[in-house]
Amino acid sequence: MLPNKNRPFPLSLSYASIHCCLLLSEHPVQVLFFTLLVKKMVTKKSMVSVHSMLTAVSSKPVGSGETHPLSVLDHAMGLHTLHVVFYYKKNPFGIFDVDPLRISLSEVLCLYPQVTGRLTRGESGKWSVKCNDAGVRVLRAKVEVSMDEWLRSADGSEEKDLTFWEEIPEEPRTWSPFRIQVNEFEGGGVAFGLSCTHMNADPTSITMLFKSWIENHRQEPIEHPPLFDSATLHHQHAPNTGTKSDIYYATKPNAEIPSVKMVTATFRFSDSAIKKWLGEVRDQCAKATPFELLASLFWTRVAHLKAPKNDRKHSLSICLDFRRIVQPPISLGYFGNALHFSLLTLNEEEMDDVGKLGHVVELVHRHISDVGEGEVWSAVDWLESQKEEGGKYAPPFRMYGPELTCVSMEHMIIGHGSLMFPASFKSGEKPVHVACHVGNVRGEGLIVVLPSAEEGLARTVMVTLPEEEMPELCEDQAIQCLQPTMVISGR
Amino acid sequence: MPPVLPDFSNSVKLKYVKLGYQYLVNHILYLLMIPVMVGILIEALRLGPDEILSLWRSLHFDLVQILCSSFLIIFIATVYFMSKPRTIYLVDYACYKPPVTCRVPFSTFMEHSRLILKDKPKSVEFQMRILERSGLGEETCLPPAIHYIPPKPTMEAARGEAELVIFSVMDSLFKKTGLKPKDIDILIVNCSLFSPTPSLSAMVINKYKLRSNIKSFNLSGMGCSAGLISIDLARDLLQVHPNSNAVVVSTEIITPNYYQGNERAMLLPNCLFRMGGAAILLSNRRSQRWLAKYRLVHVVRTHKGADDKAYRCVFEEEDREGKVGINLSKDLMAIAGEALKSNITTIGPLVLPASEQLLFLLTLIGRKIFNPKWKPYIPDFKQAFEHFCIHAGGRAVIDELQKNLQLSAEHVEASRMTLHRFGNTSSSSLWYEIGYIEAKGRMRRGDRVWQIAFGSGFKCNSAVWKCNRTIKKPTDSPWADCIDRYPVHIPEVVKL
Repeated sequence: MLPNKNRPFPLSLSYASIHCCLLLSEHPVQVLFFTLLVKKMVTKKSMVSVHSMLTAVSSKPVGSGETHPLSVLDHAMGLHTLHVVFYYKKNPFGIFDVDPLRISLSEVLCLYPQVTGRLTRGESGKWSVKCNDAGVRVLRAKVEVSMDEWLRSADGSEEKDLTFWEEIPEEPRTWSPFRIQVNEFEGGGVAFGLSCTHMNADPTSITMLFKSWIENHRQEPIEHPPLFDSATLHHQHAPNTGTKSDIYYATKPNAEIPSVKMVTATFRFSDSAIKKWLGEVRDQCAKATPFELLASLFWTRVAHLKAPKNDRKHSLSICLDFRRIVQPPISLGYFGNALHFSLLTLNEEEMDDVGKLGHVVELVHRHISDVGEGEVWSAVDWLESQKEEGGKYAPPFRMYGPELTCVSMEHMIIGHGSLMFPASFKSGEKPVHVACHVGNVRGEGLIVVLPSAEEGLARTVMVTLPEEEMPELCEDQAIQCLQPTMVISGR
Repeated sequence: MPPVLPDFSNSVKLKYVKLGYQYLVNHILYLLMIPVMVGILIEALRLGPDEILSLWRSLHFDLVQILCSSFLIIFIATVYFMSKPRTIYLVDYACYKPPVTCRVPFSTFMEHSRLILKDKPKSVEFQMRILERSGLGEETCLPPAIHYIPPKPTMEAARGEAELVIFSVMDSLFKKTGLKPKDIDILIVNCSLFSPTPSLSAMVINKYKLRSNIKSFNLSGMGCSAGLISIDLARDLLQVHPNSNAVVVSTEIITPNYYQGNERAMLLPNCLFRMGGAAILLSNRRSQRWLAKYRLVHVVRTHKGADDKAYRCVFEEEDREGKVGINLSKDLMAIAGEALKSNITTIGPLVLPASEQLLFLLTLIGRKIFNPKWKPYIPDFKQAFEHFCIHAGGRAVIDELQKNLQLSAEHVEASRMTLHRFGNTSSSSLWYEIGYIEAKGRMRRGDRVWQIAFGSGFKCNSAVWKCNRTIKKPTDSPWADCIDRYPVHIPEVVKL
């Protein structure tokens, strides 16, 4: 039942295989190499060990046991999972079983009956959440190292151990779609790893859930109470076909993506560095945001690394949260998916030169400004139109990919601070770091631009690329010009 | 009524005949004494004051006779008052309200059951059927260790639960009564299935720094009726020690006894037993006469252990895989019925009014002498008590007793609602039931309460309390936040 976090190679098997190879092989050097490789695999053990799993329930019974159908956008995200990690320097838990934090979690779960429910599949294959009051799984894990050591030396794949990774089983009746993993570091320090299927929530929703828990514990009013009304995604616009979104989304189901091992690295850019570079591109793009700057920078550098394409074009899929784009704006408390993916394609010549960065920033800025309500609703309509006979939704396809995808969390930045860095339960300190992973990303890669612990224009960028491209990106001079700090990147 | 007069059984007139009969027999002494007193008064008035004075002088009282008579009267009065048992007062009691994190909704319980017993779908089905018909609600609580998958029943977790429940309930009792820990003279803790060393009573003494000459007792292994056994023990001790306070703590620690196997008869307690506890303050101090809530009238204990079937009907043993659990036999209800009959036979003469006792006696004589086929007369206990607290052992127990004692739905409401809200909390369930009646504002001065509990062995114990003062709705009881929702209708089968 507990996920097996160790990745050991059975010791006896490895040595037996080495002996076999020595006997059969004619190339001792190759054998030696193989031995060393196997040894490395044998000794590689996860620093995170999950020791308990329990269920947290809401403080009051849910009552009616309604079934809440998931929206068409939720269905479209069906292949992906979402994982967000909040790192805090001080562990707020005393004795875990009787801590007041558990009580405030139970109280806040009363507001989120969908989080304590279970997924069910209707006859037409449509997913819905049955609000049956079953509760949320909470896992407890211990990390062998201190938090500073972790931030310095762990890598992206180890960070995955801080949250729970499992696909929806065939029979999800007893499977909790939401998981909260409490990881306790040596010497104090705690990381809350929240994970869920992307069908149930997007990064904004899951952050708001965590924030509501903290607000309830600190006895503050909940700033963004949850809204579950699926009617929120219905709109009054006339259906508009043939827009850019329609064309883009239509390419996705047919994309063939090879499966390659992906690794993640995290870059931290300081407020001063971003400010300086925004100043540099000001004459080409006066109103550039840090997201546009970083998206353009990473896009150009990643494109540089990739093998040249036949059509000499590069594409970037920009993922925006449309809660604030549509009119009237949807509350940030809306619990569900509200993401819009749009494609920007440029020729290779436009992107090649480092000096052209400002130009790319300008193009990205213009593209984002052009994404309006019409585009958003036409994408939703297109997804609706893909329903098969009998009202069955089409099977989900990979929304993050195959092109390089860049996710913006700029909507979470309000004023000087951000909603992704909620003050801690008891001490009121802000998180040291926040990370966001998406499961089942294939293709060219994923770039997530998150707010940083340092306020203002500082940003944290999490880049997921195929394994062989990552070392080159980390050394890239253009990126190094902004003096990033690398965290959780295994160096 | 005996079947000799079947035609009248539905007649309204019979009700008035019955009432008339009851008034006649219950107040026979008054009815006889009033004519006599009236006769004397008329005679005295007729004689006139002078005649009475001359009658008085003719008796020739002298000083010695008067002195001896008065000494005799004083002596008899002293012997009477010295040998009268001390009145035991229940000053107040506190019940445990578990934290909301311990709540176990049906869906969570079934989900855990499916995950832990994934190779035994029949056992899971069995648990589901039991839970559907159990009469429990969605707000019952299990201790924190049982919320883990798989459960973590370590000794440390069991001690943790004991500390959580007992200390919480003791703090509540101190707050309600203003009792100082140093004033406790007698401490009795009963917890059937968890008995560590040092005992739970030692744990309480350590936490609250009680006096070194305290009389402490720890009762374990005595089942769900141990609460009343502790009250009986406290009563006996309070007869011997004048001017004392006794604290009785009744609880059941579930953590170490959660059955981890898949034998069906042993999975039943998992579905019914829930976290709970109560602390009761008893006193024999005369200063508590006006402050105490109740006065203890009778405690009657019946033990059917001499019968082998009764002895084995609730039996803790290992299953085929070596996992320990409590085996409930199929004839539990029949044995409970027998034990109840025994108990009623003893308590009946103590509490029933004369009218009921006379009827019972007449029927008994009739059955022995005239016709053994006469149905035995079941005395109407509703005449003797205003409130009934039947141990919330399970829906079947309450149904059985309601049928046997011919009680109405309102009489068993306290038991059913306690089962719904708190589950079977073993020995403390009687106190939650009394708490329900108080929270509903139904407890008046002079009301008599009958607490009945069954326990392994097989035992049936009862206690009779008389309410000392009308009790206002309490604000700090575990029922305070939910009493307005009760009573709820509990369906026969809840669809899961």
